[in-house]
Amino acid sequence: MTSIRDTDRWRISRDRVLLYVRALNLPPYKGLDLAVESLKRTGPSSAAESMESLRALLKEHGLDRGVLDSEGKHLASVPPLNRSVMVPEELDRVPWRTSFVQFLRRWKNDLFGKGCAR
Amino acid sequence: MNTTDTAAVPSWRRSGSRRRIALLFLVLIPTITSSYTMARLLPERASLVLDALLVAVFGILFAWISVGFWAFMGGLFVLLTKRDRYRVSKSCDGRDLSIPDANARTAILIPIYNEEVNRVFAGVRTVYRSLKQTGSLDRFDIFLLSDSTSPDVWVEEEEAWHDFRREEEGTEAHVFYRKRDNNIKRKSGNVADFCRRWGKNYRYMIVFDADSVMTGESMVRLVQIMEDRSDIGIIQTLPLAVNRETLIARVQQFANHVQGPLLAAGLHFWQLGDAQYCGHNAILRVEPFMKHCQLPRLPGKGSLSGDILSHDFVESALMCRAGYGIWLAYDIEGSYEETPPTLLDELKRDRRWCQGNLQHMRLIFTRGFFPAHRALFLNGVLTYGSALLWLTFLIVNSAQAVSEALFEPIYMPILRKFLPSMPVWRPHWALSLLGSTALLLFLPKVLSALPILVKDFRARAYGGPIRLYISVFLEVVLSMILTPIRMIFHSLFIVSTLLGKSIGWGTQSRDDRGTTWSEAFAAHWWGTLLGIAWGGVVYWIIPSFFWWISPMIFSFVLSIPISVFTGRASVGRFFRKIGLFLVPSEVRLPPILQDLEDNLERPARYSPFGHSRKQGFLRAAVAPRTHALHIAMQLPRRKKKPSPLREEARKRIVEKALQLGPDALSAKEKTALLKDTDRLRELHRRVWTLEDEEKAALWGLALPKEE
Repeated sequence: MTSIRDTDRWRISRDRVLLYVRALNLPPYKGLDLAVESLKRTGPSSAAESMESLRALLKEHGLDRGVLDSEGKHLASVPPLNRSVMVPEELDRVPWRTSFVQFLRRWKNDLFGKGCAR
Repeated sequence: MNTTDTAAVPSWRRSGSRRRIALLFLVLIPTITSSYTMARLLPERASLVLDALLVAVFGILFAWISVGFWAFMGGLFVLLTKRDRYRVSKSCDGRDLSIPDANARTAILIPIYNEEVNRVFAGVRTVYRSLKQTGSLDRFDIFLLSDSTSPDVWVEEEEAWHDFRREEEGTEAHVFYRKRDNNIKRKSGNVADFCRRWGKNYRYMIVFDADSVMTGESMVRLVQIMEDRSDIGIIQTLPLAVNRETLIARVQQFANHVQGPLLAAGLHFWQLGDAQYCGHNAILRVEPFMKHCQLPRLPGKGSLSGDILSHDFVESALMCRAGYGIWLAYDIEGSYEETPPTLLDELKRDRRWCQGNLQHMRLIFTRGFFPAHRALFLNGVLTYGSALLWLTFLIVNSAQAVSEALFEPIYMPILRKFLPSMPVWRPHWALSLLGSTALLLFLPKVLSALPILVKDFRARAYGGPIRLYISVFLEVVLSMILTPIRMIFHSLFIVSTLLGKSIGWGTQSRDDRGTTWSEAFAAHWWGTLLGIAWGGVVYWIIPSFFWWISPMIFSFVLSIPISVFTGRASVGRFFRKIGLFLVPSEVRLPPILQDLEDNLERPARYSPFGHSRKQGFLRAAVAPRTHALHIAMQLPRRKKKPSPLREEARKRIVEKALQLGPDALSAKEKTALLKDTDRLRELHRRVWTLEDEEKAALWGLALPKEE
């Protein structure tokens, strides 16, 4: 009974590790080497342990650095920022009202403004 | 540049003013004459209020169709005589495809919102390669500006951008991808966001829609014109509708090819440098755009306030106010777009445009706007407002006819009068009114084929002259069938907008999937009932009048099958097979559209998982390369430490995902995980270590058991 469960776990670990290296799109020999190595290290253990071992291996081989651009730099999907501003211009949607208000203000200033008092 | 800086008024402005004054007379005189005729035709014993309303509505509608008629006539004059001293593309006649000034850099902006990613990138690839062929690629950069809210689409866009970059570009980057976290001000906000970040790097920008395609040559020509004419702020091209197969879309493609150039040339004839910008397939001068065209929010509450939805018209008015011309380059070829595939998709788009255009009512009197742009705002309002006016006209007409039948005629309205007031029927007046209205509506359609026949008498690109004219006739018939349906929907849109019902931001359907019967029923049932009720009442009371309104009634009643039938690609293909509604791109595919087709058929990238292209979130969580790519693309973002509460919530989402699988997560939860690189890493790590095969299978990790 125990051996069947062990076989199942072993199969799951093996499949998981192989699937992962396949999804990494590594050259086949390299992927297989890594998979075999990780499984050797952990033996017939759980998928979790095999995957941890594979991750450690990927790190050792420098294959865990994420996606870099063709020059080996961090991938940037946009150019460097060159900031400026865009300020909405005033929209005077009722110019006759504005003109009337301005006229009233001017008139008020002419009549009661400081200049007149002096 | 500003109006005050300009020493002399450009000659086109004087010509433009003269032409528009002439247009005013050409529209007003027949409108007044016909309205007077209409008033005299009405029965004298009918209600004065109804009469006045009827004549007013008739007058507005007559003026409205007259403007369209004269726009066509202007276009016919330009295209047949080839006399156009203000043709904007003159400056690049005989020039090669180089842009000498290295600083004349152009950004091609493609704002996207939950679009079909495969189609978007097929378009990008096509445009990129076409630009490469011109030898001026180094003067252009392409920006994909994503506002997508779907987590799956987000990841799919990232993958597509990365694939494109690896396959096409190598070390030199010309195609960039930017995803906004929030969608403030929708498309106009997206473009403004680009301008604030990188606008200073570019002298020009060409704005695309997600389905736009332009040839490299057309874009280089636009830049050359802008380089030559520093007084121009925006040049709008005439995008030709292509690539659709449903009947309604093919008919619109046909109309767009046959009538579009005529209308565009006509608009150019009347508007000159006061043209309008349609929001895509146009080039803009970046600096004045940034300085003068940032849109404010409209104050107040309700659907006519807030963000300006139809931003393009307002931006062109602002650009003109700043002293720059806006021109319609009707003769620059190689600009394409796609039309909505079904009537329902078209109406969905119209709902958005209707609200945007009605907002323009609040801007008509804005200080400094040019009269031509005020007229364009009014024109936009009337595009939808005319539907409501027409419906009112028909309702009032029916009401008057019914009242004629129901109420006893009064021959002696005033007792002191000695002679009775007898109804007078003037058939020749009625016929001349009907004839002149029909002339305004249909003559442009008949004449629209003339420039095609003058260019090639055998009209090979349209299947021959006979098929061309049969198609023109059938297009008229189909628009007569569809117009009443559009009318009631547009009227509904106006009423609901004015009642304060706002709309969301939907994705436009861009494939030929068609309309199902249930979708058609859900959308048109009320129109069908309206038709039955209206037609029934009129037929019962005054059968002779029923036949006058019967075309409209039949359209209402049959709107469900019409919607389904016209949205079918098989029907569209049948008409293509018999050579009807043909457009040049269907007879001989231009190289750029051939490239687009090839790019659309590119096979998907190999993946050992069973995930479909659409399962972006699943791939970001499981597939190591997609996961790494997504994490890498989040790294440059400024990272705020999430609050403990949010941190806790996200941890709970991870647990939920592991327990119940990815399908149990809502779009909001998926997006939250995609934004949090730490939690996404945790999810990725733990998914791969799942011992339970059933749970692992939910993530596409289970392999079939060995025998």
